[in-house]
Amino acid sequence: MEQVQTDTPTMSWWNSLATRSEFTRDRVVPILRYMRRNRLIVFGLGAFVALTLFVTMSYLFYEQEDLLQERHGVNGLVKAASVQANQKPSWNPWSGYPLGTDVQGRDIYAAVVVGIPLSLRIGLIAAAIGVGVGMVLAFVAAYVGGVVDAVIRTIVDSLIPIPGLLVLVLVATSLNPGQGLTVDQLAFVIAVLAWPGPARVIRSQVLVIRERGYVEMARMSGTSALGIIFKEMMPNLAPYALASFVAAVSGSILASIGLESLGLGPLDSPTLGSMIYWNIFTSSVLLGLWYWLLPPIIVLVVLFVGLFMISAGLDEVANPRLRRRV
Amino acid sequence: MPWRYISGRLLMFVITIWVASTIVFFLPRVSGQNPLAEKIYQDAQRGGYQDPAVQERVRVFEQKYGFDKPLWQQYVKFVYDVVKFDLGRSIYLWPKSVNEILAEGIIWTLSLGLLTLLLAFLVGSTMGALLEWKRNNWGLMVAMAPILALSAIPFFIFGLVLQLLVFNIDREYPLVYGYQQGVLGWPDWSDWSFILSVLKHGLLPALSITMVSLGGWAMGMRGMMVTTKGEDYMVQAEAKGLPERIMLTKYAVRNSLLPQVTGLTLALGLIVSGVVLVEIVFGYPGVGGQLVQAVSRSDYPTIQGIVFLLAFGTAAATLVLDLTYPLLDPRIKSLSN
Repeated sequence: MEQVQTDTPTMSWWNSLATRSEFTRDRVVPILRYMRRNRLIVFGLGAFVALTLFVTMSYLFYEQEDLLQERHGVNGLVKAASVQANQKPSWNPWSGYPLGTDVQGRDIYAAVVVGIPLSLRIGLIAAAIGVGVGMVLAFVAAYVGGVVDAVIRTIVDSLIPIPGLLVLVLVATSLNPGQGLTVDQLAFVIAVLAWPGPARVIRSQVLVIRERGYVEMARMSGTSALGIIFKEMMPNLAPYALASFVAAVSGSILASIGLESLGLGPLDSPTLGSMIYWNIFTSSVLLGLWYWLLPPIIVLVVLFVGLFMISAGLDEVANPRLRRRV
Repeated sequence: MPWRYISGRLLMFVITIWVASTIVFFLPRVSGQNPLAEKIYQDAQRGGYQDPAVQERVRVFEQKYGFDKPLWQQYVKFVYDVVKFDLGRSIYLWPKSVNEILAEGIIWTLSLGLLTLLLAFLVGSTMGALLEWKRNNWGLMVAMAPILALSAIPFFIFGLVLQLLVFNIDREYPLVYGYQQGVLGWPDWSDWSFILSVLKHGLLPALSITMVSLGGWAMGMRGMMVTTKGEDYMVQAEAKGLPERIMLTKYAVRNSLLPQVTGLTLALGLIVSGVVLVEIVFGYPGVGGQLVQAVSRSDYPTIQGIVFLLAFGTAAATLVLDLTYPLLDPRIKSLSN
């Protein structure tokens, strides 16, 4: 990252940090300086730190039993159905349930705390598989070229107009009819369609980067193809790969909530999506149960806006032309 | 006419349809079984093989899908039928054909989706263009902030928020379904109060789609306007003293709009998925609502029909956009000749 001259004079705190060690001076400080300008990434990461803190603090200070019961979702449901069947949904923050209880008498706060990592887990697994497969396909297409490239490109292009959610509905309905999927199964189902987007973006970048001077240089000095890919191209592809990873996480979480809202997810684990499903299912809005619907929505908004900001910020890293004029 | 371009696009359309029908055929079988056949025989067992109506039903499904035939024969026949739009009959609403069911729903989905898409595209692009053209206009920038934040969240989540808001403002306002159900329950398009109720019911779903998609189009347009404004022909237009209005519409917007149309073709599939989810939240009588019902009843022919129809519709819309593209961008014409 290049040095920015404009913000040196007033930066006494930065400078004192910079004198500490070579590593902080060369690696950490430029990144921190860049982040001072690229506020989007800071806000986006901030949203994530806030969510993580919320979850960990809750695990530390909230009554463990409730959380554990929620985590082994079935127990939570069974408990609610059998023991507390006649407990009505209520909202009384001073009754021991800070966000009230839902129609089955479950603790909404506990459900949200357990739900955040579950939903994130789905997004991360699906996106990792999607970007991994997409990247491999992109390199194969761009490097082998010819018929292979044409085939991969045609498949990717033909998949893009097909509404992904509906294809996922097909998979999910037929995999385990009547019983629903587990959280990890849902992640794998979503990964089925998570690769065409990254493959498309990364392939076009590989084609561009392959023609750059430094790659030509490495090739002439006898670096092997794998060496060029990993040592020369990967570091320069990183912002693009990261940006498409973040986009894929956001898309996968969206797909998971979509499937769950259709009743196709793990209905017994309290992911954010299945909370939304039960809200739609019982028409909680009409029952006036706003305190049950709002928590998952607020968390999802923070999550999606955070991911959006990170990916917009990474876009700026990848395309310096978009950088704000200082 | 640029024939190579047109034939290329047509070929892509055919391939997409083929891929879609293949997906619709094979994906339900990923578990190794054929859920459709299982469902039908299960129902038959439950209903008793003696019942002539049940026997007739099993016979019709066996004949249509040929469960005893080898997989490739089933596949070829399936693709052939689906491409002819012969989607079979519903299991749950037997003996209604899937086509009849889809015909009821698709009008609602199509009108909701197309109207909101056009509205969001036009308004969003205009906002984006003005945002870049009138730099440092505080009113616009303040209006953009919430719209941008909205664009990050899914349509249907915003729909739920709208439901909550409206419910707490006006308890009488219709939150679900597509129209005021009369005595008969059928839509009566000659009745003005019915049409009014359709508009009233459609307002919230339409708002939740439009408001959320505005930001994406605005940002795309703004990005393109930045590039276009730096072009030499803009400097020349200014130098020869063209009025600002002409510079904006005929020069800057005209050239920035093309990548927006490309963006539109790429976003269609996502938008269709989003509209389906909005329909579910609002209990709208379109194919989204039908999909939920079909899923909860394991009505596989209807699920397959809806998936294929929406894939077909999206691919067809993409084709239409691609074919009108040369009219918007004369460069493509000369490129292929």
